[in-house]
Amino acid sequence: MIQVSNLSFSYTKKPFIQDMNFEVHEGEIFGFLGPSGAGKSTLQKILLGMLPGYTGSAIACGTECNRHDQDFYQSIGVDFEYSTMYEKLTARENLEFFSSLYRQRVRSIDELLSLVGLENDGDKKVTAYSKGMKSRLNFIKALVHDPKLLFLDEPTSGLDPTNSRMMKDVILEEKKKGKTILLTTHNMQDATELCDRVAFIVGGKIFALDSPHNLIMSRGAAKITYSWLDNDIEKTGSCQLDRASEDVTLKGLINENRLLSIHSSEPTLNDIFIDITGKTLV
Amino acid sequence: MRLRNLLIWDMRFQSRYGFYLLYTFLTLFYIVVLTAMPSSWRGYAAAVLIFSDPAAMGLFFMGAIVLLEKSQRITSFMAVAPLKAKEYVLSKVLSLNAIALVVAMILTLSAGGRNIVAVLVGTFMAGTLFTLCGVIVATKITSLNQFILATVPVEIVGFVPAILHLCGITPKSWGIYPANACMDLVAGREASMIGLVLCALIIAALFRASVGCVQKMWQEQGGVKI
Repeated sequence: MIQVSNLSFSYTKKPFIQDMNFEVHEGEIFGFLGPSGAGKSTLQKILLGMLPGYTGSAIACGTECNRHDQDFYQSIGVDFEYSTMYEKLTARENLEFFSSLYRQRVRSIDELLSLVGLENDGDKKVTAYSKGMKSRLNFIKALVHDPKLLFLDEPTSGLDPTNSRMMKDVILEEKKKGKTILLTTHNMQDATELCDRVAFIVGGKIFALDSPHNLIMSRGAAKITYSWLDNDIEKTGSCQLDRASEDVTLKGLINENRLLSIHSSEPTLNDIFIDITGKTLV
Repeated sequence: MRLRNLLIWDMRFQSRYGFYLLYTFLTLFYIVVLTAMPSSWRGYAAAVLIFSDPAAMGLFFMGAIVLLEKSQRITSFMAVAPLKAKEYVLSKVLSLNAIALVVAMILTLSAGGRNIVAVLVGTFMAGTLFTLCGVIVATKITSLNQFILATVPVEIVGFVPAILHLCGITPKSWGIYPANACMDLVAGREASMIGLVLCALIIAALFRASVGCVQKMWQEQGGVKI
């Protein structure tokens, strides 16, 4: 669905996106992860054909992104991080307007509204919507023409945990229907849950590209942390899960039934990101 | 099909944002002004009113329309929609001209004018000229104050020669000036054919320029600074 080879781009004389190579397969959820200013949005704009001055190749839906016509957008849906709605129109009117711009058959507006829990708010003006409601409305606007390729920019930003869960379920449903989804996010939890593969981007370069599971497993096994009382003072120790039998202190504490607590923990995608790139996600 | 949909929605937006209500009040006010005048003045007064308001409304309102769309980030969406810039511009020109034509017809009838077809053709041509200038200026500004300042040269070049021409202050040969040719039609008079051809050519050039400006504005929403 997307092929990027030797892609470079710069806003100034200084190189920004540098020699990027990756592919996104049909039906895959692919995540761009990185701190602010890493080049995620620039990359998304290149793939959307909004930044034509790149070198190398970026092909989306079979079209070189800097040589597309407006029909290119018939099969692409974009969920911007911010609201792109006429505030004085109702949610339903906005969706009717945006769907009228597409040639193909569009999805039922009632079905889309109920998909994100807005079935009772469709006739309210967008100006009366909360940030979370606008975010959900913006998301279904990207689905209105049933696109093959979906660009999502921080889709769960500003949502409460319940709505965030609902949004993630809808994204996974759309993947099941065969859509290819490009997710741009800071949120490692979302990326771990949703993405088949992720690319860590920092300073315009891809530092790592693999499935979240492989990335986590590639950086060592889970850890055990335990605590016990020693002369009424709580002490803690830790060891790798796969070397627990070699930890003499732990063995002694188990034999003497003196363990106060014991926990296992895997590294998160966030830990892996920091480990690989040396940067935090701000 | 898409242009038709866009046109219908543009008219709905204009209705929702009070354009129709505003022009209902303005038309009533203009009718009162015209009926209060001596009948020999009405033809000239109606021509000046039509030329400087409904025909020129595109120049005044495009700034507000485009700034509103920019502030609500609609232009970001337009950049990734299958909509063509020429459809966007055509829809704005036709929807604003629809209001201008209705108001021009009512004012001409209330002033006792007879050459309605000429008035409507003149209003349409002037309306298109002014709306296209409005689109070009609106795509380049970031505030209403900037828009008001930037449209002053267009107003001087568009209105002053046309009003002087209507009043017979400038030589008759100046009828070939495109704004003057439009004014002749709006006043229900015979217009210079050369002036009308020049006007059509300028409309074609402005249409091309405004499509380019809209395309550039949409790209800039994507972060390109050209």
